[in-house]
Amino acid sequence: MKRDAGFKHFSLTVVWSWLFLFALLPFSLVVIASWLSHHADHFVSLPFTVDNYRALNNLIYLHIFERSFVVAGIATMGCLLLGYPFAYCLARIQGVRKAVLIMLIMIPFWTSSLIRSYALIAILKARGILNSVLLGLGVIHQPLSILFTHEAVIIGLIYNLLPFMVLPILTNVERLDNRLIDAARDLGANRLTVFRKIIIPLTMPGILAGCILVFLPAMTLFYISDILGGAKSILLGNLIQNQFLITQHWPLGSAMSVMLTAVLAVLIALYAWKTRGSKNREWMA
Amino acid sequence: MKRWLCVMGMFLFPLSVFAKDQVLNIYAWPEYIPDFVIYQFEKETGIKINLSTYQNNESMYVKVRAVGKNSYDLLIPSSYLVDRMRQQDMLEKLDKNKLPGIVNLNRKFLFPAYDPTSEYSIPFLWGVTGIFVNTQDEALKTVTRWRDLWDKRFLNQLVLLDDSREIFSMTLISLGYPANDTNPAHIKAAFLKLRDLMQNVKVFSSDTIVSIMIDGDATVGVAWNGDTFKASEENKNVHFVFPQEGFVIWVDNFVMLKNAPHKEAAYQFLNFILRPDIAKAISLYTKYPTANLAGQKLLPDNIRNNPTVYPSDAVLKRGHFQQDISSDALALYEKYWEAIKMGA
Amino acid sequence: MTQKSLAATAYLSLMYVFLYLPIIVLVLYSFNNAQYSLVWKGFTWDWYRALFENSSLWVATYHSLLLGAAAATVATGIGVLAAVSLYRYRFFGRQFLNGLIFILILSPEIVTGAALLILFTLICLPLGFLSLLISHITFCLPFVIVVAYSRLVSFDKNIFEAAKDLGASEGVIFGRIIFPLLWPALFSAWLLSFTLSLDDVIISYFVAGPEFQILPLQIYAMVRSGIKPEINALCSVLFFITLFFVLLSQLVLRKKA
Repeated sequence: MKRDAGFKHFSLTVVWSWLFLFALLPFSLVVIASWLSHHADHFVSLPFTVDNYRALNNLIYLHIFERSFVVAGIATMGCLLLGYPFAYCLARIQGVRKAVLIMLIMIPFWTSSLIRSYALIAILKARGILNSVLLGLGVIHQPLSILFTHEAVIIGLIYNLLPFMVLPILTNVERLDNRLIDAARDLGANRLTVFRKIIIPLTMPGILAGCILVFLPAMTLFYISDILGGAKSILLGNLIQNQFLITQHWPLGSAMSVMLTAVLAVLIALYAWKTRGSKNREWMA
Repeated sequence: MKRWLCVMGMFLFPLSVFAKDQVLNIYAWPEYIPDFVIYQFEKETGIKINLSTYQNNESMYVKVRAVGKNSYDLLIPSSYLVDRMRQQDMLEKLDKNKLPGIVNLNRKFLFPAYDPTSEYSIPFLWGVTGIFVNTQDEALKTVTRWRDLWDKRFLNQLVLLDDSREIFSMTLISLGYPANDTNPAHIKAAFLKLRDLMQNVKVFSSDTIVSIMIDGDATVGVAWNGDTFKASEENKNVHFVFPQEGFVIWVDNFVMLKNAPHKEAAYQFLNFILRPDIAKAISLYTKYPTANLAGQKLLPDNIRNNPTVYPSDAVLKRGHFQQDISSDALALYEKYWEAIKMGA
Repeated sequence: MTQKSLAATAYLSLMYVFLYLPIIVLVLYSFNNAQYSLVWKGFTWDWYRALFENSSLWVATYHSLLLGAAAATVATGIGVLAAVSLYRYRFFGRQFLNGLIFILILSPEIVTGAALLILFTLICLPLGFLSLLISHITFCLPFVIVVAYSRLVSFDKNIFEAAKDLGASEGVIFGRIIFPLLWPALFSAWLLSFTLSLDDVIISYFVAGPEFQILPLQIYAMVRSGIKPEINALCSVLFFITLFFVLLSQLVLRKKA
C-alpha cells in the first residue's frame, strides 16, 4: 500500500507546494493589506482598521459592480451561444484535421489582444471597413455608429474570450457517446428532446467550465471596454487598478479585491447548494 | 528558504559589481529613446542599454517604489512625479559638475516649482494640454477657450483625455482656479461643472487620440500639442488651440534613482542626451517639443517656427506647470472622477 | 446526414471568418501608408523595413515565445497532477484547494501582480526570467485544472476499479490510463496557457526585470504613442510563420496516418 501511495503523495506535494507559495501567500498578503491603513509615502501601514471595508458601502461602487456583472454576464452568454455550436461541430471531426482546426482557433489569439482590438476599431469605425463595405453595397445610407457604444464592447469581449468557452466544451463534447443518442432516437425522441435531455446534461461539466473561464476574468477585464467603448464608464477592473496606481490606496484596493472574491464565492456556493444531489454537481469536485 | 534565497542574491550581487558601468538600465516611454539613439550611444561608449518600458507614470512609480534597490538607473517621470519622488528621497542629487551639457537647456524649464534647485531632474521633452479642432467644420474656428467646450452644439462630439488630473485641471482653469488646486470646495465646483460636460463627451482616450483626430471620429476635444502636430501632418484640417484661460504645461524629466546600480554610466547617458544633435534628433522623431534650447535651434524651420509645437513666450505665459498634489486631494479627484464616469 | 454536415461546415466556416477578420485587417494595415490613421491611405513596405531594423522587438519576441512555452508546459504538468488529485483522491483541505484555484482565476491582474511583486521582494528573488516564469505558471494553472477536470469527470470510474483489482499502483493508473485518455484536454490546456502567457501584460509588468524584455510590454508601451504599423508588421510576420508551421504539421501528420 505504501508503494501505491507514492504517486499520490508526490502529486499532492507538488501541487500544494506551488499553490501555497504562489497563490496562498500572495493572497494572504492581499487580505492582510485590506485590514491595514493608507499612508501617503508607503503603500500600506499600521494600524489595522476596518475602514476599508466600511468604505465599500458606497452606492457608486455598487453600480460599478453591477455594471461589471452585467457586462461579464452578457459576454458569457454570447460566448456560450456562439461557442457551443462551434465546439459541437468541431467535435464531430476526426483525426489530424481536428487538432489543426483547434490550433487554428488559438493562432489569432497569439497576436496581442490589444492589436486585435485596434483592428476591431478599424473595422467598426465610422469610416472603417464595415461601414465602407455596407455603404458601398448600398445596404445602408448613413454610416453605422457602432464604435464607442455598448455593442462594440460586447463584440470585443466575446471576440477575445471565445476560445476560453470553446475549448472546455470541446473536450467534453468529444466524450459524448453516440450510442446514447442513437438509443434515444430509437426510443422515439425527436432532435430537440435528445438535445435537451441527453446532450446538454452530459456536456454540462464543459459548459460550466467554459462559463467559469469566461465569466470570472470578464469581471475584471477593462481595457477592451475602454478601447472599444470609449472609456465612458468605470468597471471593476478600472476601479481596483485606480486604487493601486493613482490614489495609491492599496488597502482599499485590496479590500475591493477580497470583497469581490467573497461575493462571487458566495454566489457559487449558493448555486452548488441548490444543485446538491443533482448529477451536475460532479463538475465541482 | 528566504535566507537561502537572500544569500544567493548576495552572491550574484558582487558579480554585478564587476559588470558595473558596462550596462545601463533605463525605464522610459519607448518613443522617447528611439533605437538609433541607443545604437549610437552603445557604439560610442560600449555601454549596453537595457530599455524597459511602461505605459503610464503611475505604474512606473509603483513598480520602482515596490522593487526598491538595484533596479533601474534612469527614469523619465512627469513633473508631478518628480516632485513626489524628490520629497520621498528616491532621487539622486545630480552633480552638476558632471553634466556640462546642462547649459544647452532652455532656462524656462530650470528651477521649476517641482524641483526648485534643479538638482534632481533634467528636463527632456515637454508639452501643453489644450484644445484641438478639425476646421473642416467651419463653426469650430471660433473655439478659443475651455468654456467653449461646454457649448450644447457639441453634444456627443468631444474626445477627452482619459486622465482625471488633466481633465480636472482644465475645468479648474476654466473656473479661474489654479490647475493644481487642492481646495476641496474648488474641486467640488469643478466636479459639478464637469458633470455638465459629460453629455458632450463621445469618447475618453489618451492612446488612440491621434487616429481619432486624423480620421474625424471626433472633431473637437482635449489633446496634447505634440499629438495634434502629429495628426496635422496626416490631416491638414487639424489645428491646436492654446485656450485663453490658461493651460497645463507638463514636462518629462530624466531622473537618476538614489540607489542606481550604474551611476557613472547614467551620467554618461545624460550628457549624451543633453547634446544638441541628439536632442534635435529625438525631438524630430517624437514630434514633441524639446527642453534643450541648443537642440531646438537645430531643428528645421517648419518645426522650429511652428506655433503649435513651439509657442511664443507670450502664449506660454498663460501656462501652469503641472505639480504634485497631496494624497488626500488625489483621492478626492478620483472619487469625483468615478462619480462622473458612472453618471452620478 | 449530409444536410447536417453542410450546416456544420457552414457554421464552422462563418466562425473562423469571424475569428480571422481582425487578423486580416491587421495584416492589411501593416501595409497602410499612414502612421496614425486607421483609414486606408495606400500601400507601402516601410513598416516591414522599419521592423527588420528594430532588433529589440525580435529579442522580446523570442523571450516571450520561450517564456510561454516553458510556462505552458510546467503549468500543464502541475495542473494535470492537481486535476487528477482533486478527482481521484480524498485528502485534507480538498475544498480549500478548490477555493485557491477559484481565487486565482478571479483575482484582478493588478492585485495578483502587486502581490507577487511584494512576495518576490520579500524573499529577495531578483526580477527577471524566473519571476516571470513563476508568475505565468501560477496564473495559467487554474485554467489547466478546470479544463482537465471537466474532462476527467466524464470518465467511467469502473476503469479505475478494474485496474486496481488487477494490482496497478496509482502511478501506473495515471501513466497508463488517465494520461492517454486526458491527452486531448491537455493539448487544449497547453494551448490556452501558451495564449495567456503570450498576451499577459499587467502581471508581467510588475514582475519583469530590466534584463529580460518581453513582447506584450513593448507593444503596450509603443501603443501609448499611437498605433505603430510596425507592430502590425511584427504581428503579421509572427502570424504567418505560425500558420505556416501549423499547416506544415498537418501535411506531415497526414502522411504518417
